[in-house]
Amino acid sequence: MDNNSNRRTFLGVCLGGLGAIAAAAVSWPLFRYLAPHSGGDAAGKVVIPEKDVPEGEAKFFEFAGSSAVLVRKRGGDLVAFSAVCTHLGCIVQWEKDKQDFLCPCHGGHYSADGAVTAGPPPKPLKRLTFAVAGGNITVG
Amino acid sequence: MSLIKKAVDWIDVRIGTREIVEKELTGYLLPRNINGWYSMGSVLLFAFALQVVTGMLLLIYYVPDADKAFKSVTAIMNDVPFGWLIRMCHAVGSNMMVLALLFHMLSVLFMGSYKKPRELNWVTGFILFTMVQGISLTGYLLPWSQLSFWATTVATNSASAIPVAGPYLVEFLRGSPQVGPPTLGRFFALHVAVIPAGIAALIGAHVFLLKRTGVSAPPFGLPETMNQWQGDSYSYEKHPGGIPFFPHFALEDMRSIAIYMAIFLAVVFYDPYLFFPKDAFIPANPFVTPAHIKPEWYFLANYQTLKIFPNELIGLSLQGAAMTFLALLPFVDCGRERHPLKRPLFMACSVGGLLLWIGLSIWGHLS
Ligand code: HEM
Ligand code: FES
Repeated sequence: MDNNSNRRTFLGVCLGGLGAIAAAAVSWPLFRYLAPHSGGDAAGKVVIPEKDVPEGEAKFFEFAGSSAVLVRKRGGDLVAFSAVCTHLGCIVQWEKDKQDFLCPCHGGHYSADGAVTAGPPPKPLKRLTFAVAGGNITVG
Repeated sequence: MSLIKKAVDWIDVRIGTREIVEKELTGYLLPRNINGWYSMGSVLLFAFALQVVTGMLLLIYYVPDADKAFKSVTAIMNDVPFGWLIRMCHAVGSNMMVLALLFHMLSVLFMGSYKKPRELNWVTGFILFTMVQGISLTGYLLPWSQLSFWATTVATNSASAIPVAGPYLVEFLRGSPQVGPPTLGRFFALHVAVIPAGIAALIGAHVFLLKRTGVSAPPFGLPETMNQWQGDSYSYEKHPGGIPFFPHFALEDMRSIAIYMAIFLAVVFYDPYLFFPKDAFIPANPFVTPAHIKPEWYFLANYQTLKIFPNELIGLSLQGAAMTFLALLPFVDCGRERHPLKRPLFMACSVGGLLLWIGLSIWGHLS
């Protein structure tokens, strides 16, 4: 009897082990199959002609798989931001008359410098680096 | 441990789980002379579940659009990590499931289990058989390869032999005069929604009928202890002193499933293209028919029948007659004797029929 129950435990453990191995052999391919593909939105550079961004205007473009914006403030200074609102991820809009950004989702406002001026966003818009050369703006 | 026991107790006092386990598993007694063929049903349940799971996974990357289907399947095979594994499991699984289904039907046939009071079980099983053929036929089109396209063209065309309504029926099946994007739309809906739901419902009916009637005892082996149904009023066929379903027969089921999996995985890993002729790798082209276009192996006999008879209507009617005969078998063959060796006429007909089917299939394959 005792012998028998030892044997049962042993076989049970073996079976459990095999089951665990089988489960791992199924889970790994399944996880890889479902995992998001990286590489599509590799941080490539984006080149935009300077003349596309006149004074007081904003130019939206696709960058790193999402939306970004270049603004030439009154006075001529150029700035670049990720256009993703820091609250819950909507894309902000440029309000030319007020020279600020509005997020349509929950009424967040940002100044032309990206600082939060009103509404729920917790942080300023993320700044992007860029370089100007030969009439072209290179973001990234 | 005691936590698990507490949880089980908590549920048990509310819904009586232990009573169900006692009634449906440990106290569910099967005939003493039961054999391994009785586990084919469990193998089939498992195989169908595998098709459902792999099918749902394929849906993530498959695009049901005539311009994109082939590319999406190619991407599943080449770009998606382990996509080849999921697709091969689905495609090989469909063939293996048909094979398992044939074995299930043959065992039921030779042990006479379709006889009264189990006619309804046979009929629901037969409907399941046709639905599995339907789901395979519709799935075959989805990769939108040359093979898909032309096999579907030929298969749908055979309905045109039906007098009067035939030509319209063909167009109705295809959703257009020729196989084309509308065909893909309807076949896709049939393949992933309509037929799977139908199969699930019929599996439910099939198992329900089995539970109400009770499992048949094989006509050979140890003497049976069954309380036989007398035919005057309903009575469940019990097997006093029989084998408990759990753990005994459940283990036997597991063993059969393991054997099935071993064969299935051997094909998936060592000969994945066993069921793929080369036209399966060429995108569909409605303007060029490839040289040898053939259906899947289990339709080869039907294909050959249509080829033998110059008149398509005769070929089609013969198939219809054979299927109707099979569907109604329990009502045609209604003697009580179930031992195959004591039923010479039945044996001659069924072995003859089986050989005919195999012969036609081989002929179809070689021609
Ligand atoms: C809910 C259940 C199912 C879903 C969601 C599903 C889904 C799919 C999808 C998306 C495809 C196209 C991808 C490919 O070609 O590999 C496909 C193909 C196919 N399916 Fe299914 N399927 C299901 C069940 C079944 C069943 C039960 C069978 C057969 C018994 C079956 C047989 C086939 C066949 C033969 C193909 C073509 C395989 C090929 O040539 O690659 N499917 N299925
Ligand atoms: S997401 Fe922009 S304010 Fe909420």
